[in-house]
Amino acid sequence: MNKAEFIKGLEEELELEITLTAETDLKGLDEWDSMAAMLLIGYVSNEFGLTLTADDIKNISTVQSLIERIGVEKFN
Amino acid sequence: MGATIQAIEYVFPKNKVTNKDLLLQFPEYDFKKFDDKVGISCRYYVDENETGLDLAVQACEKLFQRIDSATIDYILYCTQNPDYILPTTACLLQDRLGLSKNVGALDINLGCSAYTYVLSLAKALINSGQAKNILVVTAETYSKILNERDCSNRAIFGDAATATLVSYTEEENFGDFLFGTDGSGVEKLFVKNGASKYKFESNPEVKTYGSGNFYTDNDLYMNGPEIFHFTGEVVPGFVEELLEANQVEKDHIDQYIFHQANAFMLNFLRKRLKIEEERFFIDLRDGGNTVSSTIPIALKKYSQKITEKETLLLVGFGVGLSWSGGLVTINNKL
Repeated sequence: MNKAEFIKGLEEELELEITLTAETDLKGLDEWDSMAAMLLIGYVSNEFGLTLTADDIKNISTVQSLIERIGVEKFN
Repeated sequence: MGATIQAIEYVFPKNKVTNKDLLLQFPEYDFKKFDDKVGISCRYYVDENETGLDLAVQACEKLFQRIDSATIDYILYCTQNPDYILPTTACLLQDRLGLSKNVGALDINLGCSAYTYVLSLAKALINSGQAKNILVVTAETYSKILNERDCSNRAIFGDAATATLVSYTEEENFGDFLFGTDGSGVEKLFVKNGASKYKFESNPEVKTYGSGNFYTDNDLYMNGPEIFHFTGEVVPGFVEELLEANQVEKDHIDQYIFHQANAFMLNFLRKRLKIEEERFFIDLRDGGNTVSSTIPIALKKYSQKITEKETLLLVGFGVGLSWSGGLVTINNKL
């Protein structure tokens, strides 16, 4: 999975009305709430086998920061 | 010599709260998405003067329309919302139901892992010759310990009680059960105040979590992402251990019935375990997450489809952190 596919998939998973980019601040989204956090954890776990913790959720801001938490090297 | 689940009954309180009702109180929350993803359309709350014990009495009386209450010789009562700090609620239930004074009766203070735990205790009591007909009760009223302005948890949790009869039979219908505990996770799902360590506060500080959910230390707090993390890390491996302990292949389980925490999380676990939808029970639309009652409610519902002997794998997980599970064989509508 490359970065663009990941971002597109995340946009669909969170059912966003806007187009997501690497610079988008996830916490600033209208749709951001605990349900979105749950969907995000599920999506990342299914795609990368990594289960994000509550601290990870607290620390991420932009989509890019999420990608860095997952590990940039995991995107081709 | 063995044990079997003979019959199950459950009750919800009368006060039904739909997503539409909650939307009036929380207009910002996307209940359409909640309904779709979390899979809950309504939940039921007790009235202010009604308790878990009142619900338990109703569930047991429903059961006693089908089975003879005089045969009961033991009560195992699961609750984290007892009527009193003491005595044990099971004693009050014995009196309310007019059961024999020779019954054994005790409470089990566990939440979502309670039912599977107590099935294993019932099996052990029967197989050690200490009891023959055990009344297993679950009763929770989380509505009483949720903050009025805690949207996320109000949407997820509901009140309910169940009554199960576990009886002595010639044939063993219980397989092996396993358990897990991680007390370091205490604060992930927690009611801090009101017991011995911290007194109930008359004017507690209002705190927030997630996006606009409010609670105080007098209320239930759940760290959703942490609970999701715990479940994702622990449950799949635990299921593999259960299959191995029972020496059964994954494909030989007719139905997987897990604690009905939330449909999204259950589907997540199902995919992780590579189990087909048809063999994995998800139905919490009516009633929501009723803590220790979700597995017996699911068993009751699923068993209505049973026409021949089926092997079911049950797993409970949650507050503690605590998890447990085991294998049961069912060949009748419960």
